[in-house]
Amino acid sequence: MLSIRDLHVQIGARKILKGLNLEVQAGEVHAIMGPNGSGKSTLASVLAGRDGYEVTQGSATYLGGDLLSLEPEERARSGVFLAFQYPVEIPGVNNAYLLKAALNATRKQRGEAEVDAFEFLTLIREKMKLMQMDESFLNRGVNEGFSGGEKKRNEILQMAVLEPKLALLDETDSGLDIDALRVVATGVNSLRSPERAIVMVTHYQRLLDYIEPDYVHVLADGRILRTGDRTLALELERRGYDWVKQEATAA
Amino acid sequence: MNSAAASPVAHYREVFSASALRQSGSAHLREAAFARFSELGFPGPREESWKYTSLRRLEARRFAYADRDPARQAAPSLPAALAPARLVLINGFLRADLSETDTLPAGIRISATPTDPDSDGRLLRVPSGGGTERFAALNAALCPEPLLIQVAANVASDAPLHIVMATVGDSPLMSHPRLALRLASGSSLRVILHHVGNDDAEHFINPFIDVEVAESARLDLYRLQDTGARSFHIERCDATVAADGRFMLRDAQLGGSLARLDVNVALQGSGAETEITGLFLADGSRHFDTHLQVDHRAVNAHSLQDYRGIAANRGRAVFNSKVIVHPGAQKSVARQSSRNLLLTPGAEIDTKPELEIHADDVQCSHGATTGQLDPAAMFYLRSRGLSIAEARSALTRAFTGAVMSRMDHAGLAALVRDRLNARLVNLLESGT
Repeated sequence: MLSIRDLHVQIGARKILKGLNLEVQAGEVHAIMGPNGSGKSTLASVLAGRDGYEVTQGSATYLGGDLLSLEPEERARSGVFLAFQYPVEIPGVNNAYLLKAALNATRKQRGEAEVDAFEFLTLIREKMKLMQMDESFLNRGVNEGFSGGEKKRNEILQMAVLEPKLALLDETDSGLDIDALRVVATGVNSLRSPERAIVMVTHYQRLLDYIEPDYVHVLADGRILRTGDRTLALELERRGYDWVKQEATAA
Repeated sequence: MNSAAASPVAHYREVFSASALRQSGSAHLREAAFARFSELGFPGPREESWKYTSLRRLEARRFAYADRDPARQAAPSLPAALAPARLVLINGFLRADLSETDTLPAGIRISATPTDPDSDGRLLRVPSGGGTERFAALNAALCPEPLLIQVAANVASDAPLHIVMATVGDSPLMSHPRLALRLASGSSLRVILHHVGNDDAEHFINPFIDVEVAESARLDLYRLQDTGARSFHIERCDATVAADGRFMLRDAQLGGSLARLDVNVALQGSGAETEITGLFLADGSRHFDTHLQVDHRAVNAHSLQDYRGIAANRGRAVFNSKVIVHPGAQKSVARQSSRNLLLTPGAEIDTKPELEIHADDVQCSHGATTGQLDPAAMFYLRSRGLSIAEARSALTRAFTGAVMSRMDHAGLAALVRDRLNARLVNLLESGT
């Protein structure tokens, strides 16, 4: 589904990703871990199309096409979803409007008719229940005055409504207490399916207790230095990241 | 070619001399008003209140005076009725055949004649001061039929009166509509003032709105300036508000090529209140200029001036809001806010809030900002599949949300939103 080859990315003159390779197949859940500043969030942002990043080398192929040449909205409509580390507050644009506009943009791309008000409400109510969100959220401004946990739940709610093919979760666990983490994890797990791939970027292995990955990658110094299964995350928790870097340097 | 005959004032003098108004019962008032216009002339660039707005294009035009020529009196296509009661003025003349006033309560008197019915000169008065005094004087000289609406004491009308002022014609016309709204004590009235016109000719529209709100009366004036895209529109609204009276103006300045609006409100009695709120959209190469002034002349009076300005392409806008708290006007509360949005790099908005306080026990606040759409919010919306146009349009609607929610007439608010959206979508699709 997603194939990243030798990806080099810089912000201004600062090189962040320095030859990153990653293969993701449909149905898989990948966790990308690494120390602060290793380039985890840069990877998520570049894949979603955020401004300010310059790709100097390499490629990212999504469903056989060049992902990096698409506008952010084209990526979204073709099934790429980024759950933001810091969801943006947009007073005056209400949640229901955004959810409906986003859903219809995706449906249009798939050649499906727009949802009517009844279908939309039925769908939203079901997903909000899953995310334990009150319906009053619908009429509030997007993320306006939401707590950290509410913002993250709102991201996963959008993801549950849009049903992306490739979900990128950027530090979705940061700032969550244990109850909120469980709700978020339940939402993400409900979306695991053979047609969908999930890539989670995280600093702590805590999230992986709730969403079990098929693969764990260690990202440091702009490259993936090691790939393993669930047990790699536990080893990182015990030993930190330095040994991975040292072994990579030795090799 | 600066010969006297070619000067802009001379052109208006010819028009005035030829008009039948000089033979009407109000001839002396008309003459005096025209003399005042001649004396003031057109503003030069050194005049403070016209610093950012040049009228050289307007001066250069020679507009024909709209009269009752039958050829010009065909019924144009009018906007849909926003209320059961409606008055239609075409090129300054009231058209009874297109108007409907039967639904208004008794106690609301409407008249339109070229002569002052009170014969005390009040209906054709020329307000003094401000950058638009000259145009109010020209209006007094040339308005064919001042429209006077009087609401008797304690008469309340909840359903609004929709007043359509249309300026239409194949060739450039001048039109000088005048509206006097006089609310006696304890009365209330809601008026939608709706300017429309054709896009294919350059007209000069010069309305003067004269408002008197007596003790404990309330006027809600909703204004949609949606005149023809090539027209010049210079409007002045002066209001006096007596004790415990209220004057609420909800404005949307959308139409015309060059549009100026001056609003002057005098809070004369204790407890008087005014809110002047609105928005404008200066896209394309439009130039909009708004000058608001509220004079606190009594104790315990409240005022709010709150505008959202949007400019795009080569659009320019000037926004000047002023509050003067006069000596003795203690316990005044005055709030001013001007927030402006530049949608594209070439656009410009000059905003200036002014506060002049001559009393010590007052609460006054003002703020002015000018900025662009938040790029983080743009990316967030686009990352959810919204196009650039949809994202900008959603954020622009959000920007105007606070003033739109004060436009508490659903039909008008929907119309303003539609007009605004249509323009924003056009602007965004044309790939600014």
